[in-house]
Amino acid sequence: MRGIVTRLVLPFVAVAALAAVGTAGGASKALPTFVFAGASDPTYLDPALVSDGESFRVTEQVFESLVSLKPGSTLVQPGLATKWGSKNGKDWTFQLRHGVKFHDGTPFNAQAVCYNFNRQYNFTGAFQDASATYYWQTVFLGFHHNASSDLSPSLYKGCTAKGQYTAVIHLTKKSSSFLPALVISSFAIQSPTALKKYGANQGELRNGTFYPTGTYAFSHPTGTGPFKFKSWTVGEKVELVRNASYWGKKPKLGRVIIRPISNNTARVQALQTGEINGADLIQPQDIPTIKKNKNLKLLNRPSFNVAYVTINQSHAPFNKLAVRQAIAFGLDRASVVKSFYAGRGQVAQEFMPPQLFGWTNKVPKYPYNPAKAKALLKKAGLTLPVPIEFWYPTNVSRPYMPNPKLNFEAFSASLENSGFKVTAKSAPWRPDYVKHVNDGTAGDINLIGWTGDFGDPDNFLGTFFKTYSPQFGFHNNAIFKILSQAAAETNYKKRIKLYQQANVLIMKFLPGVPYAHSTPALAFQKKVKGYTPSPVGTDPFSPVFFAGGQ
Amino acid sequence: MSVAELEAHEVALEAATGGLWRDAFRRLVRNPAAILGFALVAIFIVAAAFAPLLAPYAPKEQNLLLVARGCCPGPSHKHWLGVDQLGRDVYSRILYGARFSLIIGIVSVSIGLSVGLVLGSIAGYVGGFVDTLIMRCMDVMLAIPGLLFAIGIVAILNPGLYQIMIAIGVVNVPIFARLLRGSVLAQRENDFVLAARAVGVRRPVILFSHILPNAISPVIVQGTLAMATAIIDVAGLGFLGLGPQDPATPEWGTMLTDVNDYLQSAPFLAIVPGIAIVISVLGFNLIGDGLREALDPKLRGRVGRFRERKAFWFLGRRAASRA
Amino acid sequence: MLRYLVRRLLLLAPILFGVSLLIFFWIRALPGSPAESLLGERATPALVKAYQQHYGLNKPVYVQYWAYLKTTVQGDFGVSVASHRRVISEIKQRFPATIELALAAMLFAVFLGVPLGFVAAKRHGGLFDHLSLVASLIGISIPIFFLAIILKYIFAVRLAWLPSVGRISVLIDMKHPTNFYILDAIIERNWHALGDVLKHLILPGIALGSIPLAVVARITRAAVLDVQNEDYVRTARSKGLPPVIVDRRHVLRNALLPVSTIIGLQTGLLLSGAVLTETVFAYPGMGSWLRDAIFNRDYPVLQGGILFLALVFVVVNLIVDISYAIINPRIRYS
Repeated sequence: MRGIVTRLVLPFVAVAALAAVGTAGGASKALPTFVFAGASDPTYLDPALVSDGESFRVTEQVFESLVSLKPGSTLVQPGLATKWGSKNGKDWTFQLRHGVKFHDGTPFNAQAVCYNFNRQYNFTGAFQDASATYYWQTVFLGFHHNASSDLSPSLYKGCTAKGQYTAVIHLTKKSSSFLPALVISSFAIQSPTALKKYGANQGELRNGTFYPTGTYAFSHPTGTGPFKFKSWTVGEKVELVRNASYWGKKPKLGRVIIRPISNNTARVQALQTGEINGADLIQPQDIPTIKKNKNLKLLNRPSFNVAYVTINQSHAPFNKLAVRQAIAFGLDRASVVKSFYAGRGQVAQEFMPPQLFGWTNKVPKYPYNPAKAKALLKKAGLTLPVPIEFWYPTNVSRPYMPNPKLNFEAFSASLENSGFKVTAKSAPWRPDYVKHVNDGTAGDINLIGWTGDFGDPDNFLGTFFKTYSPQFGFHNNAIFKILSQAAAETNYKKRIKLYQQANVLIMKFLPGVPYAHSTPALAFQKKVKGYTPSPVGTDPFSPVFFAGGQ
Repeated sequence: MSVAELEAHEVALEAATGGLWRDAFRRLVRNPAAILGFALVAIFIVAAAFAPLLAPYAPKEQNLLLVARGCCPGPSHKHWLGVDQLGRDVYSRILYGARFSLIIGIVSVSIGLSVGLVLGSIAGYVGGFVDTLIMRCMDVMLAIPGLLFAIGIVAILNPGLYQIMIAIGVVNVPIFARLLRGSVLAQRENDFVLAARAVGVRRPVILFSHILPNAISPVIVQGTLAMATAIIDVAGLGFLGLGPQDPATPEWGTMLTDVNDYLQSAPFLAIVPGIAIVISVLGFNLIGDGLREALDPKLRGRVGRFRERKAFWFLGRRAASRA
Repeated sequence: MLRYLVRRLLLLAPILFGVSLLIFFWIRALPGSPAESLLGERATPALVKAYQQHYGLNKPVYVQYWAYLKTTVQGDFGVSVASHRRVISEIKQRFPATIELALAAMLFAVFLGVPLGFVAAKRHGGLFDHLSLVASLIGISIPIFFLAIILKYIFAVRLAWLPSVGRISVLIDMKHPTNFYILDAIIERNWHALGDVLKHLILPGIALGSIPLAVVARITRAAVLDVQNEDYVRTARSKGLPPVIVDRRHVLRNALLPVSTIIGLQTGLLLSGAVLTETVFAYPGMGSWLRDAIFNRDYPVLQGGILFLALVFVVVNLIVDISYAIINPRIRYS
């Protein structure tokens, strides 16, 4: 396969390419290649078994779900299903698209849909591991036979194929957050033939380590999407090629190469040198460089996240509302957002982004006010300065928190102006920091946040506050109750009301202080057109083309 | 003075004092490279000692107004080396940073040296099974790449200033242990030791009053070179995100962590701590090198290859631990 | 000599055993677990507990160690927690990458270091001698990642002469029978790919080679000074041979013997010393892999990978010591 070089643009390899075109023969007429860089290799290319963005970046191109997202939004639109509905909130009927074929030539039909859902439902042993089936467990909770008592009974009951093109999914309870969650790549429909042929369900535990014996997820992922899988060289690239018999609009690209570049600056530099055409996860400090470069441009990923300061109420005196209010008034959120988000952030007033239904402007606000903070602390009967242990993560950049260290340092200075005495503590993001936060051992307050998986408030508020968690260390039945009620409610208007009430309750109670919603940036060469970033991070590559040829 | 006169003077001086140390010192001060080294280290120590007097600002004093229009304004008459992302004065932070580098260097080398000294001299002097056991343990430690070893120790202890010192100290232990053992072995068969043993001096006394003092010169050399390596190792750990707990700490390695991020938008932020590190490390390396030549004249002219190989073995080891 | 060889070979076993013990207990002492590092914000306490069970981390330590030792001796390093691939197959891919990088660094060091050291010795005590000494010390005094970043910024980003990341252009499709990309390109007769691979090696090679450069320059200098005073060199000179011939035939050739052993030694050390260089250049080798494994708490990768590097390290050292004994019979090992 040597030297299949399409029309090369990359200035750096241009000279070398001339030599290669000679050996490659007539390949120069082929469609262009799009090279995109993420931060790391995918974990696995069986979407049912992954939960990370880098894996989804690839599976999103190869696989499709029953429903999809309208590009650039969190609104649900038809995918492999053209219509769907439910009379009782428990049995959901999907009308499937006709004439769709998997990459291996087998037909897409209701049997395939049921096969995929039943496959996950029947997972056993190692497959019930959280790192493997995170989204199944998030959305459908449990399995047919739960291996661990920590798992809840399943929301999924079964699937019926009515003829070729009608599939009915049965649930054990009414659910309204189930449908928007189906856009997640984990619920994409894969070729049952390929899954069986390449041993996707084979794996064994050896010395306590899960060992996949099949080759499906490494070399044979087979879906219905606009691109087909070609090869994966760990540390170097995943290569996809155009699916010429795609049912929808056929891609204008001949090839897509996704390569891992973990260092943020290295990614931008590779874009400057032309070694890649586009890159995700651009850091604020690199934005001026890209703006100055006449060959490059920035694209916005619609904001769908929140950064917040946890307050752990199991530690006195933070169980006192006045002290939590003092923290909220003592955090200079406006300056932090202004200084460290490169104009791509807004101050968060509550724990979910304004784009989502249920957000309200009627929550109490806490602008930076050191004098008021000190007064509140005195009112609570404390002597100033009040000691406070403040944790932040190192070695990480999250979309909602591009540089935790700088956020921490600025907050820490503003808290010290407001009557607190800060003790700094840090841990590397991977692996201890999150553990400390979850276990409630990350000090009195800490920096953390969340990026939404799908367009439902339950994915934000429900994740944080539906039950007691050691992270926040409080019991507040009013909040717990309203959030459970809102998640089960099937009437859309009533849901909005409930979530608005919840937001007000939460911001009065102050289990933490939300401080930023960021708009993450992607960067591209100017000639790259048609790329629409998705709020949840799964961007389709099929509409991408090069202006004026590659 | 003519050359002959100079030599005569030298010989007279040597006869008068006779001491190895004075002899070495004289060779050292005639070595321009070593003088340069002393000058660089002197700057470093002065900066560390008098940072509060020399620095125009407090090292943690933020001024977000200065960076409101983007990071980061370059050098000006108010801020000689510009300000960082939080509007702190880089010049002041560099001065205070010298303290941390110096402290980390001294403490970590002391840890490595003292533990290595004890293990190495016991191994060399007692010999037999104890020797084998200790030295095999040292081999095990050496077989793991130095930087990975240090990362591993910090990972267990959680990042922090003391943890970094311990990690770098531990990585240095086998180097000093091997060095000491070699020296002790060489000294053990020397005439004066044999003589002391013959007249019935007890073994610990022989070790501490006869052998160790004579084995000390390579230790001094290695100690100086290890100071240099320690400063670089801290920077490497900082680059990998394992710097001190409080990020406001003006530590050079942590400051240099941003080198990559800001090389394009604010190059001085990256270059200044880098140069500070290079200058101080170079200073210690030059001194260490000069000391080696001065203390071991055999290294200069005719070289026993084996000896040279050993000397460079340590150099290579240092390379691995920082690479 | 044979006895020495056998003794050294026998010594490998306890060292490797010690390394395996050290790694094993070190890993158990690490806080956190793969669950949190892989799931991030999404790791809940219940999931973490399930993970511990899943990886057998709740069994007694000696049981775990015995299981580890048994499989490792069989050549099975297990499966990576992060990538789900077999550790041994990842080593097969990443080790050649690091070897190529180390060789590039070594070549750079030798081709620049030997002439530098030679000239310094010829001008012994002169200005050039002192300058080259200081220059080589500067080479040792720059943090490797600092040098790498500066080199990359100038030659890849600003001047665009060389690529900034990776091992080979992603647009090139080539079979990799050996995973040594230089060899692969030659086997496949893909000269374009060969050139591309070489270009990708230049900057990381120079960054990683800065330290061995200093070492090689200085050892050459010392060796040349040493050899110059040998009887056979004096004889050659007194025979009236031109100085160039004497230098080439007698001085340099003999001086290169110790240099060659140092090269072997340094290569062994470089193999393990590429963590930072690989990070800066997004080069898919062993160093960056193990660094990630530490942060990911990828136990099987750490156990297998570090043990493998330790094995390489001790074997290279053994080879160096033996070759040294062969080259220089004056040294006797007891």
